[in-house]
Amino acid sequence: MTENTPLSPPPRRTLSARARWAVPAVVAVGVGVAFAAPPLLASADSSGLPPVTPEELVAAVASAEPQALSGTVVYTARLGLPSLPFGPETADPVNLLDGSSTLRVWTDGGERSRVALLGDMSEFSVVHDGPEAWTYASSGDEVVHYTVSDADRARYESMKDEATSGRAAGQVPGGADLPTPAEAASQVLDRAEQFSDVSLDAESTVAGRGAYQLVVTPKTPGTLVARVVVAIDAKTDTPLRVQVWSTKDAQTPALEVGFTDVTFATPSDSVLAFSAPAGASVTEKVVTLPTDEQIAADHAKAASGTGLPEGVTVSGTGWATVVQATGVDGPALVAGDPSALADAPSGRPTIGSESAQGLLDQFGPQDGGGPASKFQGIDPATLYDSLTTKVPQGHLISSALLSVLITDDGRVLAGAVPPETLQAMA
Amino acid sequence: MSHAEVMVQAPAQVRGAFGRLLRSELRLVLGRRRNLVLLSGLAAVPLLLGLVLFLTRDTDLDGQGPGFVGKVTENGIFLVVASIFVCLPFLLPLTIGIASGDAVAGEASAGTLRYLLVVPVARTRLLVVKALAALAFAGSAVLAIAVVGLVTGAAFFGLHDVVLLSGDTVPLGVGAVRIAGVVAYVALSMTGLVAVGLFYSTLTEVPVGAMAATVVTAIVSGVLDTLPALSAIHPGLLTHHWLDFAEFLRIEPDWRVVAGGLGVQAAWVAVFATLAWARFTTADVSS
Repeated sequence: MTENTPLSPPPRRTLSARARWAVPAVVAVGVGVAFAAPPLLASADSSGLPPVTPEELVAAVASAEPQALSGTVVYTARLGLPSLPFGPETADPVNLLDGSSTLRVWTDGGERSRVALLGDMSEFSVVHDGPEAWTYASSGDEVVHYTVSDADRARYESMKDEATSGRAAGQVPGGADLPTPAEAASQVLDRAEQFSDVSLDAESTVAGRGAYQLVVTPKTPGTLVARVVVAIDAKTDTPLRVQVWSTKDAQTPALEVGFTDVTFATPSDSVLAFSAPAGASVTEKVVTLPTDEQIAADHAKAASGTGLPEGVTVSGTGWATVVQATGVDGPALVAGDPSALADAPSGRPTIGSESAQGLLDQFGPQDGGGPASKFQGIDPATLYDSLTTKVPQGHLISSALLSVLITDDGRVLAGAVPPETLQAMA
Repeated sequence: MSHAEVMVQAPAQVRGAFGRLLRSELRLVLGRRRNLVLLSGLAAVPLLLGLVLFLTRDTDLDGQGPGFVGKVTENGIFLVVASIFVCLPFLLPLTIGIASGDAVAGEASAGTLRYLLVVPVARTRLLVVKALAALAFAGSAVLAIAVVGLVTGAAFFGLHDVVLLSGDTVPLGVGAVRIAGVVAYVALSMTGLVAVGLFYSTLTEVPVGAMAATVVTAIVSGVLDTLPALSAIHPGLLTHHWLDFAEFLRIEPDWRVVAGGLGVQAAWVAVFATLAWARFTTADVSS
């Protein structure tokens, strides 16, 4: 094109114009391959694990020592909930209700751990160090420090000496149980056999590690949960990922929490320690440890099934359980008014996924602060109407895994069942 | 015919010619009045932000604001991060778009490009020099914000030990290194945009067109980044990883995140730099 102009490229360069334009094309293809190849290679390399039976796998998980590890956990909820009227910019536990969240997890396998929920420019941390625990929200520079009283502390120390397994240490107040897949999976497996079929799926790769996949399928058709898939690391028997599939969506799991990368090594001491930064607002909370008698009584209640608070009834079994409670003021509850729950049961509905439940318990609002305060300036009744669907029996919140029906006479029905079941019961 | 033969001879390889060309180009870009005004404009941001926060620090507004703005009154060093955060969505892309979009198109528009080429300078070498000068300008733009932010923050609020996002406190020296990491990451995050601007600049003789197209690219990328329906392409977007500079302020920076962000920039640089090269070395330069 420019061969005869004085300004053409010098002749010693032999590349034609076409060859020159081929260079960016080749580079573009190379870049595409470089970004697409690693995930493809990783998923291809997932064979050759020794065969196991589901029973062996569950036993191995149950007996596995808690591992010291650090890693990144991605939690994704596709519950089909109406979107909340505030953005996901800051690291706030309420964002775990929907969408994707990234957490960093460090634990020494015992009683020291740190979990950080990452936001773009913010972080919400939960640090658990023996009998103490802290939460820190970077957006408000707020620290909550949980401690136990001196007497309880002495008792805790003796308990710790007795129970070196780490299981008992997991009961430490402060609620700093790790929302790792490990905790979630062991609970799922405990209940699995009674109401579900347990089988093994094809081996998979999670966080670059070969993993077995345990599939728990509910026996009853009357639930929204299609199946729960737990991926278990072949080497350490640590659960690496939990997926909960809804009957409404066969393509993607409704809830997914799993490691995207994990390192099995004890984290550095500085990560597992915490002290409140200067200038932060610190709230001190003393937690009372339950006494041995209380624990025994709770176990007895749970065993006999009479442990429910007043006003709460449970119907159905297993996956199709429906919890019914009376005396709840719907709009006030949505507005984040804790008094709306004053006469409501303390028993929470099981939402089919213990992992999500654990996360909600972990990061749930304390004292109606946190998420609720974001609703300031929004009319609770309007918000209530926009979040719920009006049905003849009252108001319905329907999601991929959980249905909640709030009747006009103040009853709440909840369960991992189709909304029609609740409406029929109301 | 002798005329043409003289003209198509390879440029003579003179020692130090590249360095001289680069020096002259840097003098041109960094000394141009328009670019100095742009740099002063960027440098005014931390000054203004610091002044506003200083004047309102005893009111109810103290400690409020997005990103790191709320932390500035406690520790002046955060004015660096807060200013970068404020400039990142628009002011920095605008400044860099103007400089890189002007690189080749400006010469073409002024009619000086062909004189440069008959000096004679090989086109590839000229493009490299133009790219380096645009990169230097991008770097000085980020640096201007950082330096003025540091000085202003230190003067108004003092420098203290740095509280990380995780609530842990690190000594001022360690904190300063981390904030230097933020500045370096943001500066490197601009390289993709410089490459895009350089490519646009080789397409046209109208500098304003190339500048606008560069800024529009950054803005469109930012808009696409907010659409959940396009989440599949988000990780590859030019602007998606810009805010990952917060990684340097977490307790244990995850270097995979940092490397991922820089890798995406490298990919954009590779594609658009070669596009610019292919275009510039085959184009018919007539002005």
